[in-house]
Amino acid sequence: MNYELICGLETHVELSTKTKIFCSCSTEFGGEPNTHCCPICIGLPGTLPKLNKAVVEYAVMAGLATNCEISPVSKMDRKNYVYPDLPKAYQISQYDMPLCKSGWVGLSNGRRIRLNRIHIEEDAGKLVHDRGNTFVDYNRGGVPLIEIVTEPDLRSIEEVQEYVEKLQMILRYIGVSDCKMQEGSLRCDVNVSVRPVGQEEFGTRAEIKNMNSLAYMAKAIAYEFDRQVDLIQSGEEVVQETRRFDEGSGCTEGMRGKEDADDYRYFREPDLVAILVSDEMRKSIQKQMPEDPQKRLTRFVSDFDLPEADARLLIEHRRIADYFETAAKGAKNPRAVANCILGQMFARLGTEAEKEQFEVAVTPEQLHELILLLDSGKIRMNLVKSTLEKMLDTGKPAKEFLSEQDLAGMSADDLKAVCEKAVAENEAAAADYLAGKEKALKAILGSVMKATRGRANPQEAEKLLADIIRR
Amino acid sequence: MEPYGIIPKIGKLLRSKEISCTELTKQYLHSAETENKRLNAYVKLTPEAALKTAAEVDRKLAAGEELSPLAGIPMTLKDNISTNGIETTCCSKILRGYTPIYDATVWDILKRQDAVLIGKANMDEFAMGSSCETSCFGGARNPHNTERVAGGSSGGVASAVAGNLAAFGLGSDTGGSIRQPASFCGIVGLKPTYGAVSRYGLIAYASSFDQIGPITRSVEDAALVYDAIAKYDPMDSTSSEKAQPAFSSLGKDIKGMKIGVPKEYFDGVREDVKAALQNALKVYESLGAEIVDFSMPSIQYSLPVYYILACAEASSNLGRYDGIRYGARTEHYADRDEMICKTRSEGFGAEVKRRILLGTYVLSAGYYDAFYKKAQNLRGTLIRAFEDAFAHCDVIAVPTVPMTAFPLNFTAQDAVETYLTDICTVPVNIAGLPGISVPCGFGGDSMPVGLQLIGARFSEPALLNAAFQYEQAARRDVFRAVETGVVL
Amino acid sequence: MVTHEEILKIARLAKLSVAPEELDSLTKDMNSIIEFADAVNSVAAEDSDFDNSNSLSNVFREDKVVPSYDREEILKNAPNQEDGYFLVRRRM
Ligand SMILES: [Mg+2]
Ligand SMILES: [Zn+2]
Repeated sequence: MNYELICGLETHVELSTKTKIFCSCSTEFGGEPNTHCCPICIGLPGTLPKLNKAVVEYAVMAGLATNCEISPVSKMDRKNYVYPDLPKAYQISQYDMPLCKSGWVGLSNGRRIRLNRIHIEEDAGKLVHDRGNTFVDYNRGGVPLIEIVTEPDLRSIEEVQEYVEKLQMILRYIGVSDCKMQEGSLRCDVNVSVRPVGQEEFGTRAEIKNMNSLAYMAKAIAYEFDRQVDLIQSGEEVVQETRRFDEGSGCTEGMRGKEDADDYRYFREPDLVAILVSDEMRKSIQKQMPEDPQKRLTRFVSDFDLPEADARLLIEHRRIADYFETAAKGAKNPRAVANCILGQMFARLGTEAEKEQFEVAVTPEQLHELILLLDSGKIRMNLVKSTLEKMLDTGKPAKEFLSEQDLAGMSADDLKAVCEKAVAENEAAAADYLAGKEKALKAILGSVMKATRGRANPQEAEKLLADIIRR
Repeated sequence: MEPYGIIPKIGKLLRSKEISCTELTKQYLHSAETENKRLNAYVKLTPEAALKTAAEVDRKLAAGEELSPLAGIPMTLKDNISTNGIETTCCSKILRGYTPIYDATVWDILKRQDAVLIGKANMDEFAMGSSCETSCFGGARNPHNTERVAGGSSGGVASAVAGNLAAFGLGSDTGGSIRQPASFCGIVGLKPTYGAVSRYGLIAYASSFDQIGPITRSVEDAALVYDAIAKYDPMDSTSSEKAQPAFSSLGKDIKGMKIGVPKEYFDGVREDVKAALQNALKVYESLGAEIVDFSMPSIQYSLPVYYILACAEASSNLGRYDGIRYGARTEHYADRDEMICKTRSEGFGAEVKRRILLGTYVLSAGYYDAFYKKAQNLRGTLIRAFEDAFAHCDVIAVPTVPMTAFPLNFTAQDAVETYLTDICTVPVNIAGLPGISVPCGFGGDSMPVGLQLIGARFSEPALLNAAFQYEQAARRDVFRAVETGVVL
Repeated sequence: MVTHEEILKIARLAKLSVAPEELDSLTKDMNSIIEFADAVNSVAAEDSDFDNSNSLSNVFREDKVVPSYDREEILKNAPNQEDGYFLVRRRM
């Protein structure tokens, strides 16, 4: 029998607000232990939380960007459990009235992954275990999170990966999170179940906690799929439980001793008041948001005449998309702008993180000026390339590297003279060309380009050279 | 207008330089130290801080600087109000040795006014109790009769103020913990409207009920202290900007004021207490107020509603005492989980554990709807019942407690029996209303009886004036000063 | 009626230990308290969506950093600390 994978994701994303969700301590990553702390975020008796406005705004943005309904009325709840990383012994979260509901994220295969909800909550501190000793650091305690919960709509590992990547792109795009899995600012709990193909109802699910790498997630899901299919085929039952993924063995294993821990005794957080998102508030948040990446992609293709693949690469990081848009605006040749970014600039940016930062020496305005020279026919693409290279090295504007001669362009007579001279100097190559060796012409063209310092139009020059030789 | 306020009286003595603040503070410290052996009102004296503030007040006086209304006034704080650098224990073993690193907003306000902190006052452990006897330091005694309890949970403050070991104190009231001990000790206790006074720094028992308020010798004093502390606080999201100053309203005519008397409040009230209440109502009639008898049947569910919701919140609020960040940690344990469990089991007293367990139970899977949710709905019913009542009366007059101060060790027997004594005080907390207890005579045991006046939300100016009018008319017959402490 | 097992389960959730000799009296205590609390179920009440009795809403703080406390202060009350961490040492 064939089995189908059913996955649902709960994704925790740290928001990139300046301060924590309930106190004014910095959210900066790292730092000496317990140095981003105050009486509130270490839960001293008598302290009270005060909700950070930006957290609500960022969460609403995330909701709007994922097609959610924004709840006009929501509230905060306490999720109670005693654990040393939770200084109040409860996490302030949202239970039955989340800020955002019923959204979706579209995949490239056309499927929509439905979102059940997005709610806001606080992160826990960090425990360091060392030979049975527990060291506790509350720097991360109280950092704002959104939890994005899908319906069990994902049907393959590829879909899971694309969904997470898509989510990362959207959230980075609207600027609410850097979504760095390796730093833990995006973590997933994966619900996995299997069912025979064609069966309507879902199987019993297992939840794999706290995945912070796409590669491990793929391994964990694959392992879990096999494990559950094996169990069913051997007549055993899948137990609903929480499992953890062991990176060493590549296996998932049940987490024991948690039988009571699921009774979180949620109730309304009495120290906080209702959150009301009016139409005006929602609209004003919407106005602050950048364009939806999907819409922007369509617009890049139509307005700038870009191949979709190129547009997609530009869109992936908002800084790059913004950069492109500034540099390409009003240019006759926006494709050249895209090529400069995707070619020469990307060549200098190794990692995804570097692309996300997009720190290049050339401003988009400088690139725009360079492209205008191309548009006006003053310089050719090859000169654009070599000049851009120098600009990227130095951060200086194009004018610094282009002589008046470069900018003067070339008359037809000048070009003809140069070409005749080149043919005369390369008699052997000319003879080869006449004898049928097409490639020989390239060598002569090379010397034309060298002599004109790239100002010659290579196609024109090639045609001219062929004429001269045949004549 | 008879001057019954001790705060204005001390203010006058200081400003006319009849006594220096340092001298006055020393007298209070001295009597607190000696009388505390009998009363056990204080769990910690703070002479250093007190004398430092007193010296500052004397300096200001000498320099002719303007003094704040509460400058130089000797006072006390219930030991669940956080004081930076001064041990704050909630009278629980689990918080022994804990020294806050920040000030509660109310203490910050009083500090800026140069109020003189004599010491931290005794209380029921985590404010859970009606006799002060669940304190890990033993209970405070009633200055009227030291074989009787001072009441609870703010028993230490009531005992200190009634015995004049402090001119006023701040207590907290979750289900009657200001009004009940004030009633037992024959003084005034005001539980302000929920949100009128900041809770920031008040160690939580039940967050949606807790409210800090003054315990004083007179209504005038209560109004002065209320005006000082009823301030909007950005640190407390439930703090309101609606509170109005009350002192300036004292003395207004109450002719034609309608006083509602709901009959259900008098079920099971001891006859001598009832009689004292009847006399008080007669005084009001003589002042031109109109008594309106009515019925509030929903009151009868207020006790279970209160215990379910307050204990639910408490079970969550008290989860943090795990021996990791502050407070006591058990001596012997094998691993971390055992450390947490043993620290909590050894650190909390029996009553606190009972309430944590009840609260955990009513919130746990399978019981939430039957208990927590149901109680929450009934809370709404009760709030509406009070709203209806205030549509046809200005204040409500009821007993504060159905009896007078218990003998020592009386409440230890049966938890439920003890809970029943809170019947008259908890509705006010459920509905977030202001309530004040003023002395209204004595029972057959010659212990003080309290009259409780309840107002609509943020009606403190009118409520305190109603209490003030009664005090003006009846003080001689209903108030008895105790011959301990400082004689001014 | 609350059983011994339920009491033990609640105690586990609340991180309290119940000694075997305490169990009987505690169960009895809890039963009488729960019976008392159960009075709420003898009366009908309208369903309220959620309690917003103080009718306040949207009380927010601006996203502005205030310097954190000195670590020394943060750790001041800790029963045990090391290298800037709160510490729970395993015992033998
Ligand atoms: Mg969560
Ligand atoms: Zn903080």
